[in-house]
Amino acid sequence: MEIKNNTKILNATIGLKTIMGRHFLAIEQAFRDNKPTAWATSGTPIELLYAMNVQPILPENSATMAAAQKLSKNYIELAEEKGFSYDLCSYFKTNFGAVQCNADMSKGGTRKPTFLLSSDVICDTHVNWFQTQAERMNVPHYTIDVPHIVGNTNQRQYNYYKKYVEEQLWDLIAFIEEQTGIEFNMERAKEIAKNSFDLGMLWQDIFNLRKNIPCPISTRDTFGGLFPLFTMPGLKAPIRLYNRMYKEANERVEKGIGALENEIYRLMFEGIPFWFSLRFFSLLEKHSAMIVYETYTYSFSKYMNPRVTKEKVLNEPIKAMSELMLSFWYIYDLETRIKKYIETIDEWKIDGVIMHNNYSCRPNSCGLYDLKRILQENYDIPCLIIDGDMNDPRKFNEIQITNQIESFIEVLENRKRK
Amino acid sequence: MKVNKIGVIDAGVETPEEIILAADLIPVRIFGDPNLSNKIVNEHIPSNHCVWSRNILELGLRGLSHDIKGIITTHGCDCTNRQFDIWLTYIDIGFKFFLNSPLKTDKIALRFFINDMSELIQQLEDYFKVSISDEKIKNKIILMNKIRLLLKKISQYRKKMILKGSDFHTLVKLVQTIEKNKAIKILEQKLMKLEIQEPIENSNLKKILLTGSVIDDSEFIRFLEKFNFQIVIDDLCVGTRYFWITVNEKGNPLEALANYHLQKPIYSTKVPSHNRYYFIENLAKKYKVDGVINVAQKFCESILYDHPFMKKNFKELGIPYLFIEKEYNRESYQQLVTRFAAFSELL
Repeated sequence: MEIKNNTKILNATIGLKTIMGRHFLAIEQAFRDNKPTAWATSGTPIELLYAMNVQPILPENSATMAAAQKLSKNYIELAEEKGFSYDLCSYFKTNFGAVQCNADMSKGGTRKPTFLLSSDVICDTHVNWFQTQAERMNVPHYTIDVPHIVGNTNQRQYNYYKKYVEEQLWDLIAFIEEQTGIEFNMERAKEIAKNSFDLGMLWQDIFNLRKNIPCPISTRDTFGGLFPLFTMPGLKAPIRLYNRMYKEANERVEKGIGALENEIYRLMFEGIPFWFSLRFFSLLEKHSAMIVYETYTYSFSKYMNPRVTKEKVLNEPIKAMSELMLSFWYIYDLETRIKKYIETIDEWKIDGVIMHNNYSCRPNSCGLYDLKRILQENYDIPCLIIDGDMNDPRKFNEIQITNQIESFIEVLENRKRK
Repeated sequence: MKVNKIGVIDAGVETPEEIILAADLIPVRIFGDPNLSNKIVNEHIPSNHCVWSRNILELGLRGLSHDIKGIITTHGCDCTNRQFDIWLTYIDIGFKFFLNSPLKTDKIALRFFINDMSELIQQLEDYFKVSISDEKIKNKIILMNKIRLLLKKISQYRKKMILKGSDFHTLVKLVQTIEKNKAIKILEQKLMKLEIQEPIENSNLKKILLTGSVIDDSEFIRFLEKFNFQIVIDDLCVGTRYFWITVNEKGNPLEALANYHLQKPIYSTKVPSHNRYYFIENLAKKYKVDGVINVAQKFCESILYDHPFMKKNFKELGIPYLFIEKEYNRESYQQLVTRFAAFSELL
C-alpha cells in the first residue's frame, strides 16, 4: 500500500544521516587503525566504551537499518535455517543472518569486534544473542546482570541492587583494561558523562516541545533521531544536532506551526516501531492523528531518575550509571509504568494510546493487556493494541492493522464530538 | 499444629527452601496443571508467551490453596519478573517476594545473592513474626542434604532399568510439595523397595537423557515411555538439578546456600548457558545413553536459543539428538507421536 508522508520533517533531522555516517566511518576507521571495538546491546553503558577509547558498534542499530532497506526478512530466514526458532527475536536473527552472509555495514552487517558487551537489563535475548555470537566468532563476552525491580521492591533492596551493578561496572572496566590494554581514566569518564547527560537532557527538551499544540515534531524526526542516543552518548557531534533540532522545533512552536498541518488527535505509541514499514505511521497522519510521544524513543534519554542529579553524573559517573541502569521506561514495573503513563498522557495532552504487541519483544509486551485495561477502565483513555514485529515483516498484517487503526480513529472522532 | 505453606514459583530451582523451612513454613513448589484451560490468563498475557508460565499464572489467578500464605517467585527468565507484577496486582496472597537469583555465578553475584537471601529472611521474619537463626538454617541444610542424597541414590535405579523415569519424576515432584520429614520417610521406603526390585522386563528399552524447559507433567514422561524410552538421566529442575550436589554444612549458611545454587549444574537462563551443554555431554557419556531428547515448552526462549548449539555439538559427538517444542496441554502430546516414533526407530 502506498502511503504519502503528511508531516514536515525538521531540516535538522536531515543532518542525522551525516552524523550516523560519521559513526559508521568511525567504526571503519577503528578497524583500519586496529583500535579496540565492542559490540554492545542497548541499555549497556556505552559511555564507558567511549571513555576507554573503545569504538562501540550496536548491532540493534544495524538490524533496524537492514529492516528499513527491506533486507531483514532474508537475514531472519538464514538464521532460521540454522535452527533458530521462528519465535525468537527478529533483531537477533537479522544480525545473525547478516553476519552469516558477511553483509556490508550499510546493509546491516557488523564486523568481528574485540569483545562483546551485553546486559539483561532490557531482555534476556541480549545476553543469549551475544553469547551465541561470541561463541561463533570466538570473542570474549561480558554481561552485566541487572536485578529486576518489581512492584514491591523496597529501598533496602534498591540499595544493594545499585551496589551490585556498580561492582559489575568496575569489574567491566577491569575486563576492558585486560582486553585492550587501555587504562581507565576518570577525568575522561567524567567528560564523556557530561556530554551524555547534555545529550539526554536535550532529547528531553525536544520531547517537551511536543507538549505544544500543534506538535512541532513527528515520528519522522524521533524514530531516526533517537539513534545517536544509543550509538554516540558521550560525543559532542550529536549534541550539536539535537541543538539544531530543538532550535528549529522551538521556532515552529513560536509560530504555531505543527509537523502535521491539521493535527486533531494526539497519540502515544508504546513499543518498538516496525522498522520495515515506518511509512505506515503516515496512515495515522492521513486521519489527522499525530504521535506526540513514544516511550521507546524517550526512554533512551536515560536521565529520568530524579535521584540521579547532574552533580552525581559529573562527579560519580560510575555510581550514576549503575543507578540509571535500574530505572528507565523500558524496565519499569507495572505500577510505575501505569503511573508514568498517566503523567505523560496528562502532560502531553494525549487522546489515545497505540500499543505494539511486538512478537519479538516479550518483556515489553508482558503487561500491555493490564496497562490497556487499567488506562481504559480507570482513566477512560482509549487504547489500541496492534500485533506485529519490529523487524520481521512476515508477522505484520498490514490490512488487519489498517482496519484496526481506522476503527480506533472512529472511536477518537466520536469522543471529540461529545 | 497446622503449618502454613509458601508457594514457590521457580523454573530453575534456585529458591533456598532451607530458609523457608527455618521460618517454620513448608515450601510447596507450584507446578502447572496441563488440564487447565487458559480462561483468565489470556486477559493478562499474550498467547505467544511461555506456555508454562502462563499456566502457572492461570492457576494463581484462579486461586491457590488456602493454606498457601505466600509466594516466592525466583528470577529465571524475563517472564518471571514481569509476571510477578501481575501476581502482585491481581492475586490476593499476603506474602509476596521476588528473589533476584543472579544471572552470573561469579563472586560479585555470590555477594549479591547472599544479600537477596538476607532480605528474604528479614521479610519472612517481619511478616510471619518468626525468628530465622543461622542455627535453624544449618539444621534445615542437613535435612535437605539428606533428601538430596536419597534422591541421588534412587535416581541411579533408572540407569539400572529398575525404576521407570516417570515414577522417579513423580517422586521428585512429590518431595517438592510435601513436608520434608515425611518426604524422607517416603524416600527411605522407596529405596528399600528398589534394592530388592527386579529390572523392568523389556529388552527394547532405549536409554535416554532428557533435557529442556520445566517439564512438570509426569504424564508426559509416561507418554515418552510408550516409545520404549527409558529416561536414565536428566538435567531437569524436576530431576537432577534438585539434588545433584549438596550444600556445604559448615560455615556461614547463607554463603553455603548461595554457593550451592550458583555451583550446581547450570540452567539455560544463566550465563554462559552453553555450559549446560557440557554438563549434559558428560552425563550422556557417563550414562552411555542412546539418545538425547531436548524438550522446549512452546515460546521458552532460553531453550530455543540453546538448541542450535546443542544440536551442532551432539551431531559432532555422534549422539542422536531430538528437539521438540510442546504446548502445555495433554491433547497436544498426540501431535508428537510421529516424531518420537521416528526417533525411537532411529535408535
